[in-house]
Amino acid sequence: MPTISLQRDDLEALIAGPDETASRISIDQLEQWLMLVKGELKGHNPETGELRIELQDSNRPDLWCCEGIARQIRTKQQGAASTYPFFKKQKRVAGKLVVAPGLEQVRPYVAACTAIGYRVTASGLAQLIQTQEKLADIFGRKRRSVSIGLYRLAPIAFPVSYDLVKPDDVRFMPLGMETVMTLREILMVHPKGVEYGGIVSGHDRLPILRDAKGQVLSFPPIINSREIGEVQVGDDHLFVEVTGTDLHMVALTLNIFAANLADRGAVIAPVEIQSPVKTPFGKRWQTPIDFGAPRSIPLKAIEAALGEALGSKEVTTALKSYGYTVKSAGLKVAVQLPPYRNDLLHTVDVVEDVAISQGYARFAPVMPSQFTVGGLSRLEQMADRVRHLMVGMEFQEIISNIMGSHQDFCTRMRLDGSEWAKVVEVDNVMSLSYSCLRQWITPSLLQVETNSSRAFYPHRMFEVGEVAVPDARADVGSRTITVLGAVIAHAGAHFSEIHSCLDLLLYYLDRSFTLEPVPHPSFLEGRAGRIMLNGQAIGLLGELHPEVLEQWQIGVPAVALELEIDRLLDEA
Amino acid sequence: MDNLHPLESKVLLALAPQPGSPSTLDHLADSTGLEPSQLSMAVEWLLAKSLIAVHAETVAYIASLTPIGEVFFEKYAPIERVLSAAREAGQTGKRLTIQDIQAKEALEPSDVSKAVGTLKKEGAILIVQGGCIESTGRNSPTAEAMRALLQELRSGQRELQTFAEPLRAVLQQHAVKRGNAREPFRVDERVTRSFLLTPSGQEVADQLSRDGVAEEVSQLTPELLKEGAWRTKQFRKYTISLRAPRIAAGKRHPYREFLDLVKLKLVSMGFQEMRGTLVETEFWNMDALFMPQFHPARDIHDVYFVKNPTHARDIAEPYLTNVTQVHENGARAGSTGWGYQFDAERARRLVLRSQGTAVSARRLATSPSVPGKYFSIARCFRYDQVDATHATDFFQVEGIVLGSDINFRTLLGLLNLFAREVAQAKEVKFLPAYFPFTEPSVEMHVRHPKLGWMELGGAGLFRPEVTTPLGVSVPVIAWGLGLDRMAMVALGIHDIRDLFSADLEFIRTMRGSF
Repeated sequence: MPTISLQRDDLEALIAGPDETASRISIDQLEQWLMLVKGELKGHNPETGELRIELQDSNRPDLWCCEGIARQIRTKQQGAASTYPFFKKQKRVAGKLVVAPGLEQVRPYVAACTAIGYRVTASGLAQLIQTQEKLADIFGRKRRSVSIGLYRLAPIAFPVSYDLVKPDDVRFMPLGMETVMTLREILMVHPKGVEYGGIVSGHDRLPILRDAKGQVLSFPPIINSREIGEVQVGDDHLFVEVTGTDLHMVALTLNIFAANLADRGAVIAPVEIQSPVKTPFGKRWQTPIDFGAPRSIPLKAIEAALGEALGSKEVTTALKSYGYTVKSAGLKVAVQLPPYRNDLLHTVDVVEDVAISQGYARFAPVMPSQFTVGGLSRLEQMADRVRHLMVGMEFQEIISNIMGSHQDFCTRMRLDGSEWAKVVEVDNVMSLSYSCLRQWITPSLLQVETNSSRAFYPHRMFEVGEVAVPDARADVGSRTITVLGAVIAHAGAHFSEIHSCLDLLLYYLDRSFTLEPVPHPSFLEGRAGRIMLNGQAIGLLGELHPEVLEQWQIGVPAVALELEIDRLLDEA
Repeated sequence: MDNLHPLESKVLLALAPQPGSPSTLDHLADSTGLEPSQLSMAVEWLLAKSLIAVHAETVAYIASLTPIGEVFFEKYAPIERVLSAAREAGQTGKRLTIQDIQAKEALEPSDVSKAVGTLKKEGAILIVQGGCIESTGRNSPTAEAMRALLQELRSGQRELQTFAEPLRAVLQQHAVKRGNAREPFRVDERVTRSFLLTPSGQEVADQLSRDGVAEEVSQLTPELLKEGAWRTKQFRKYTISLRAPRIAAGKRHPYREFLDLVKLKLVSMGFQEMRGTLVETEFWNMDALFMPQFHPARDIHDVYFVKNPTHARDIAEPYLTNVTQVHENGARAGSTGWGYQFDAERARRLVLRSQGTAVSARRLATSPSVPGKYFSIARCFRYDQVDATHATDFFQVEGIVLGSDINFRTLLGLLNLFAREVAQAKEVKFLPAYFPFTEPSVEMHVRHPKLGWMELGGAGLFRPEVTTPLGVSVPVIAWGLGLDRMAMVALGIHDIRDLFSADLEFIRTMRGSF
């Protein structure tokens, strides 16, 4: 999940709060506190004061910023969350935002508020932009479900309208451009239009945010207007807007921004949203909005999950000091998340917050005491027997990657066009070297031989590993088989050498096999055999074809053996 | 004396019978019957040990034919050809210039002028007006000597001193000298050394002839054993401080040895092995683990999708229905669910298994034992650029523990056990962590003797949204151990790709300390 960059003194100031003087926080102390936010300190530059912190929890976007981290730490120190009056319904709103019909098909939801009284500093602006990017990119899935706009408030005349327009009907000067462009031009030419245009493609009318005077605020989720939508250092009247496809995600994102700006000293005023259709919030509502609901949880459920009889007092203290609103009632606790969180799906989410708030060190480890019998699967036991016998026959074990190329698994083995060339292929190939799964092990061993002409001879090597064989009858379209592959290479390598190994191996495993000649393109004709066990083919062996050796640039003769270990179990 | 090689003994014994009379290498070759290379080795060793000394060095000069001489033998020497050309011209009455001879006989100008000079001096030819050559009819001693020398040396080299004076002078005159390589003969200096026993050599030789040397053998043979002859033999002592010749052993791969050890530890702690398939459905790889279908880690850039077939035929019921409902509204699991419309088509999409937890999910759905402990060492695939810390596929060591006594504290207890048994760590730290399918979640850090604090693994209690739809009603621990870093330290490597090296020499020499 995201790694963010922040300034140590900014974090210290936010932890102290607007009315207190910040004090120096040691790195050790910081690392302790980061446990509260599942954060890991990835880097620390003492000269610039930059801290790099990775946040793990993908369900806690409120923590992906300096303000959120500081808020969680401050809450713990205060013993309770700060109150944010703007989450309650306000008598006065900063203005209205009217949603036009038809947007439910394109990008239905919007939330907005104003923030006045925080004068934007350079480092504050960097933080605002970072939060905007991380939230839209990761939480909002590259702006698909959520995107965010920040504006200078002064030029905006309410009511603002969230509307749909034809791509050529509206033009404005987007951020990063010197000229006025239509929406169609922006999608075709502007880097952000090219990057994010796919989100609105397929619609003949596109979303637009305009004010009462008809000035364009932005073309969500693509780009802001350059005139209004470029917040600069020194601005202290801001307008924030979030659009998206999920009502709660949109509301949550605005709540996070509102709390962040409030933590930096701004006064937040809500905006009234007017929707043409009924939503879970109704047709008119104010944002920011506290849409959470209290949830009643049996104390016993928390105690059983943690294995510790904490009692209602400790549970209440733990949850309050982690930001919850808590009411204790007998054997139950009624809990509600703060409005900048929406990650309570199950009681277990509360359980973890209790543990995190109290610190994991609070819980003494207890060894699980119930008796169980350990053991290996029959396949693994057979594989281990085979491996030990191969080692006894002086083979060196190899471990190879299972992913590789068609070139190695088929072409260099002369298999193209034959029934042996069926492999599981990957659709979203990253590199041609890793585009399919091996269907046999011999190519993996020849790869070793290719790289090892300077290692003294003879070369005897084997691998017991998994391969994937396409099979229409299997429910995942292929079978995963555990296979023994072995190769002997030296100036006098000969069929009978590998034949003797097979013979001895299967003698010790007590399986009586026969060999049938097989025309296999990888082997010299008349020098390859199919290994038959009870009328079933369970493997191959033979002298590798000189053309195969040439393809692999191997300068000595080589013989190979391939044996399905799964099939050795059938008989037992 | 102890360290005498059989060859040395032979030479010492050959010198011993005539004390005071030196032997040359040729003599020694005759008397010992050794090959020249063996003999010279033995002589050098004995000289180095001061058991013999050089008595005298005599220098002999050996004449032989050069490649030019071979040619002269085939086509006659220039001097003869010039003379016979002059005689022939005399009989036919032609006038012959030096240039004519040169052209006719295809001779080097320097050879012709040298031959003409000699012939003229010997009175065999005259230079007349116009630079023409005329035969006088007289013989040329040089030409005759040349013929005799070419004839003689053709059959083998000969010592210079054995040639009579006139021939010897011609030979020396026409021998290769510095700055003139175009000559038919060469004369080489040959140093012949003769050797004598030193007093200590004499002692050793005497002892050898007393005790007999034939007794020393280098190799005990079946014959010696059979006949009991070894009793009268001496076995040559070896220089055992020499480095042993290299051999290759049949052996397990060191990384597999490490994994075998982990396997053994887990089995001994009561874990049963589970296995799965390399290709999985998104359903078992992710949906069953309550990862919402819109989860960022399910992106095309994180997982490999299979090309053909793209989808599994179906997902077993009741799991499909149960999981669908738990995603949509949390049904029966006491959850709100994710509140989105579950896509059953997406669930059938085939991927390369990206986490070992998929194996655990399938195990949960097939009547696991309660209480029960399971593990798998599963090959997994991630859509990552291959580099020093990312392999295209890698092993994940994962598992589950089911039981009515499972809770957060027993989870920590189990991790303590892992830390002690698998990592031999005495100090353990537990940190809050996030995994989509567990709550609470823990990251375990241990103090490694070499690496200091390092993450050993992650674990947690499976969310009820995972266990309930799969028909499991007791709490379940899900755990995973990140052992690659530990393995790399144990094997002394720094690049994860080296765990899967294709270099036989590297694999043969790699060894683990664990």
